[in-house]
Amino acid sequence: MASATATYGQKESSDQNFDYMFKILIIGNSSVGKTSFLFRYADDSFTPAFVSTVGIDFKVKTIYRNDKRIKLQIWDTAGQERYRTITTAYYRGAMGFILMYDITNEESFNAVQDWSTQIKTYSWDNAQVLLVGNKCDMEDERVVNGERGRQLSEHLGFEFFEASAKDNINVKQTFERLVDIICEKMSESLDAGDPAVTGAKQGPQLTEQPAPPHQDCAC
Amino acid sequence: MIKDSHFKMDLSLLQAMERERVLEVLRRDKQLRTIEEDRIKRMRYELQDLRRKGAKSFARQYGERTCARCQRPLGKFWNSGAVCCGCSHRICRKCRVGLGATAWKCTVCHAYRDVKIRSGEWFMEEKAKKFPATADKYETVGEKLLKTYNVLSHIAVVPPTPPPHLDYQFLSRSGDLKSSKPFAKSMENLMLSLTSHIKKISTSQNDVREDLLRVENSRRGSCFTFTTQKSLSDTDINKSSNLFKGPSLPNLFKRSKDSDHEGYSTGAEEETSFGSEYSGGNRGSISSISTDCGLFEGVTVAGELQLALAYNTKSSCLEITVGACRNLINGDHKRNKCHPYVKLYVLPEKSSKMKTTVKKNTTDPVYNEVLQYYIEHHLLVGKRLQASVWHSGTLKRKVFLGEVLVPLDGLGFKNKASQCFNWYPLCPKTESPEGGTMEQDGEVVRPKFSSINQGELLQLSSLKYLQERETRLSVRHII
Repeated sequence: MASATATYGQKESSDQNFDYMFKILIIGNSSVGKTSFLFRYADDSFTPAFVSTVGIDFKVKTIYRNDKRIKLQIWDTAGQERYRTITTAYYRGAMGFILMYDITNEESFNAVQDWSTQIKTYSWDNAQVLLVGNKCDMEDERVVNGERGRQLSEHLGFEFFEASAKDNINVKQTFERLVDIICEKMSESLDAGDPAVTGAKQGPQLTEQPAPPHQDCAC
Repeated sequence: MIKDSHFKMDLSLLQAMERERVLEVLRRDKQLRTIEEDRIKRMRYELQDLRRKGAKSFARQYGERTCARCQRPLGKFWNSGAVCCGCSHRICRKCRVGLGATAWKCTVCHAYRDVKIRSGEWFMEEKAKKFPATADKYETVGEKLLKTYNVLSHIAVVPPTPPPHLDYQFLSRSGDLKSSKPFAKSMENLMLSLTSHIKKISTSQNDVREDLLRVENSRRGSCFTFTTQKSLSDTDINKSSNLFKGPSLPNLFKRSKDSDHEGYSTGAEEETSFGSEYSGGNRGSISSISTDCGLFEGVTVAGELQLALAYNTKSSCLEITVGACRNLINGDHKRNKCHPYVKLYVLPEKSSKMKTTVKKNTTDPVYNEVLQYYIEHHLLVGKRLQASVWHSGTLKRKVFLGEVLVPLDGLGFKNKASQCFNWYPLCPKTESPEGGTMEQDGEVVRPKFSSINQGELLQLSSLKYLQERETRLSVRHII
């Protein structure tokens, strides 16, 4: 039953030595680079070859952030329409989302609005979303300029990064920022209606030192 | 509207290869979740332990003038304590955890919050605001899917009349079809004890009625317990019922007047306060921490089990050393006796049973026995060791004393920690979510918790009803 595929990342996944676990979902059109983004973050690897994801997949990574060990279960979804029934089923369990488009692909950018609606429909009310314009290393082929991305993200109320899985730009920052926002939401959720803490907050307060957002692509 | 579409995650459109791929991912996810659930369970157990320590004990007079946590007396003018805004108990200075400049909480309330963070409970609550219908908060779509696919493949193997989903689960739990006879027998036993108890209960029905009314009035708690105590002899009945969250049922909680009679029930006080504290909001998830703790509450599963696990690569077998148990409860209450032994299974197969010897007349047995399980190392992935402690009573009656589930993933040469002895706290049985407490080889599990729906409580005396509910209901003696 449990054969070759299950052994990878096994040490990570069976490790119980962490403070809490967050579930994150990466969504966006097909071939925008979701899988590459995840592989870059989790394994620090990159393969230019395009292999379409079948349905869903996930990776586990434990990070140390603000004195807490946080285990991330990062779900990578298939962008293709035919897997939609499978992928949307996972929205509900995710605390945060990375909504990705490809800066060299206008269509993937135009679909962002739809993806955002999907999140609103299928996920919890406080779902945290980061908008990521991937492939910012391919400046020559860029069709969506950074300003449009930023404007859209403001319009949707998301935070925004341009990133490159290939050149490892802003990958780590994206995840860390998302973790921070989820932590903020968590504190809010716990302190709401808690008379002891309203006003005097406690717990993982991660607001003080947010990751310096390199929102502009360096290339 | 949208809700239902979640559960229509449909793999039928996929090709076989794709489906296998997705199922593989789902299995990995399940494995991860099993480990996570184990972690959460342990966490809750610790919280429960902390609460129990703080709870007043029957030997002490509980009054305003002692700290509710450490039981130290509080002075009238200095060190007079202050009321924790979480649980409304008077708390001394030492048992507070500061939150900022002036705000504080007592140790238990603080730990409670901490568990909510670490277990992800906060998220479940948030989620429940939008999707209140989620019956079992940890069951995901993927899990359902896995289950259905497992069922489907099994049905294909067993040709005649594929049983409906529920039945299938039921059968698989009670072993294969052939072993249904002992199962029925043990069912009979249970029914017998149930009916005799019902008779006794009905004699004191007035009390029960009264209790029920009060339960209805109490706003919302986490679990429902009532105790009928008869002064006749030592045949006290303690019937504790736990309410499993039905979709629309408010959870009930009731603390019996003289529950101080028994040491362990004192934690109930805590439950009340937690229940009312959060009564305003989202019931679905907040109650779940308390409910789960409630499992430990009315139940006398206590003590610890010492285990060491090692994998022997030469002989390719898993070597489980059962060291000892400590602080077990007596399996035979009447005679105050306990003859414990430890039974091991490697889950999910349950293919081979391993047992230690039976130690007579002890609640702290020492075994130091090595049990071997032959299995390829890579097959350990996703497996769990179920170590349960049983009392071997007269006439081969066996009483469940608690169990431990240890994930076997990542067990190897590197994992030094598990190779030396570890003490694991014993937990109530968790295998069957519906509360089916029957073991497949005819052993009578000492029923630990049960579920009764609120509206159905009044029909308690109806035996027919009980027969219908028999798998979910169980009664326990306490002397």
